[in-house]
Amino acid sequence: MIQFFQVYKTYPGNIEALADISFKIEKGEFVFITGPSGAGKTTLLKLMIRAEMPDRGEILVNGKNVTRLKNSQIPFLRREIGFVFQDFKLLNYRTVYENISLVLVALGYKMSEIPKRIRQVLRIVGLEERVVKQTPFKLSGGEQQRVAIARALVNTPSILLADEPTGNLDPGITVEIMDLLEKVSSLGTTVVVATHDTNLVAKYKKRALPLYRGRLVG
Amino acid sequence: MGASYFIQRALGDMKENGVTQFLSIGTIAISFFLFCSFLLLSLNFDFFLEAWEKKVQIILYLKDGVGEKKALQLKNKLQREEGIREVRYISQRKAMESFKRDLAGYGGVLEGLKEKIFPASLEIKLGENFRTPERIRALAARLLNIQEVEEVQYGGAWLERLSLFLYILRWGAWVLGGILVIIIVSVTANTARLTLFNKREEIEIMRLMGATNAFVKLPFYLEGGLQGLFGAAGSLLLLFLLFHVFSLEVSPYLSLYFGQLRLSFLSPDLIAGILGVGMASGLLGGFFSLRKAAGF
Repeated sequence: MIQFFQVYKTYPGNIEALADISFKIEKGEFVFITGPSGAGKTTLLKLMIRAEMPDRGEILVNGKNVTRLKNSQIPFLRREIGFVFQDFKLLNYRTVYENISLVLVALGYKMSEIPKRIRQVLRIVGLEERVVKQTPFKLSGGEQQRVAIARALVNTPSILLADEPTGNLDPGITVEIMDLLEKVSSLGTTVVVATHDTNLVAKYKKRALPLYRGRLVG
Repeated sequence: MGASYFIQRALGDMKENGVTQFLSIGTIAISFFLFCSFLLLSLNFDFFLEAWEKKVQIILYLKDGVGEKKALQLKNKLQREEGIREVRYISQRKAMESFKRDLAGYGGVLEGLKEKIFPASLEIKLGENFRTPERIRALAARLLNIQEVEEVQYGGAWLERLSLFLYILRWGAWVLGGILVIIIVSVTANTARLTLFNKREEIEIMRLMGATNAFVKLPFYLEGGLQGLFGAAGSLLLLFLLFHVFSLEVSPYLSLYFGQLRLSFLSPDLIAGILGVGMASGLLGGFFSLRKAAGF
C-alpha cells in the first residue's frame, strides 16, 4: 500500500515539481500516473523509493513512513520495491545472468539459490534461458525491457514501479510489455506505471492519477 | 556475504581496469622502493658502524725520549680510567718488528731500518659503553693533553662522517616515509575515483535495488588496500632481488675487512610493517575517494 499526504517538492531554482499531492494505492492494485513531460511523474516515483525527499507532507509505503526513515533503513525500503526505467539501465558489459544476479548478490542471497530464482523470473517475464549468457545490447528493445523487469522482480518485491517502461519501444512490443506488467499485477504485486501515453491508459482501463504541472488533476 | 566475495569483487574490478591499476601499483611500488632502499641502507650502515665500533681503539703515540718505565707508569694510570678496558704498550722495537712482519715481502727495502724512527705507543681498547663516536672523541681530546703524548689516532673523522651519514639516512627514510604515505593515499584515491566513475551506473542500480552502503563501498576500500599491499610487496620483491645480487658481489670484501659482518635484509617484523603501511594507506585512499564522491 502506498499513501501520499499533502506532499510538496520544489527543486533548486524554485522549480515546483509537485504540490499538494494526496492519494492512496491499495495493495495489489495496478495504477497509471499520467501526464505530459515535466508533469512530475518521475519525481513522484523517486519520492516513493526515497531517491528524493519531499519539502512537506508524509509518504507511507507498506506501512513505513518514507520521509522519516534513517539513511541506514533506505536499502530495506527499496528491497520491497522493484524499479523499471525507460532506458532499461542494463549493464552492457555484463551478461543477462549477471545483470539479474547482481541484485540478488547485493541483497545477500545465497549463491546456491541464485540460479533457481533467475530461472523462475525468466519464465515469468517470458524470456528463454538461452539469453542468459548474452549481453543486453545483442537483444531487441522488448527483450531488454523484459530483462529489466526480471531484474526488478527477482527478489519478489511487493511493489513494482515503472517509469515510462514502453517509452523506447514500438507499439507491438509496448503491448507485450504492458501485458507482462498486467500479469505481474495479477500475481499480487502492486504495479505503478508512469506514462505520457494516453492511448495506453485508455486501452488498459486501470485507475489513473493524472498529473499536470506538479498537481493532481481530475 | 563472506569476505572472500568482496575480495573477489575488488580483484575483478581491478582486472577490468588493468592498465590503470598497473600504473597505480607501479607508482606505489617505485615510491616504496625508494623508502625501503633508504631503510635497508641505514640498517646495514648501522650494523657496519656497530661492528666498526667494536674494533675501534685509540693509539697514543708517545714523544721521543719517553722511556719504557714512564710509558708503563702511564699505561697503569690509564688502565684505571673509566671506559678503558685494556691498554697495551708497544715499544719502539715491537713497532719495528710489527712493521717488518707486515711488509715481509719487500725484504731489501726494509734493511737498515732502525727502531728509533718508530714511535713507542699505547693501544687503548675501550669498554662497550664508550664506543660511541662522541665518547671516543671526548676521550681522545683528553688524552692528547697528557704531557708524554705526541699524537692521538682513532680514525675519528671517518667514524664521525659515517655516523653523520647514518643520521641523514635515518632522517631521509622518515621524510621519504611521510611523502610515501601521501603518494599512496593520493594515487589510490584517484584510481578508486576512476573506478567509481566507470561503475557509476552499476552502483546506481545496486543502490536503487536496495544494496546497503557497506556492500557498495567495501570493494572500493579493498581495492585501495590491495593496491597499497601489492605495491609494497612488489617493491620488497624487487629490493630483495637486487639486494641478493649486490650482497653476492660485496660480501667477500666485507668479510675481508670486517670478519663475520654480513649484509642483512629487512627483518620479518619490518617487512610486515611495510606491507601493513601499504595496505593501511591504500584503505585510507579508498576512504577519501568515496568521501569526496557525490552520493556517499
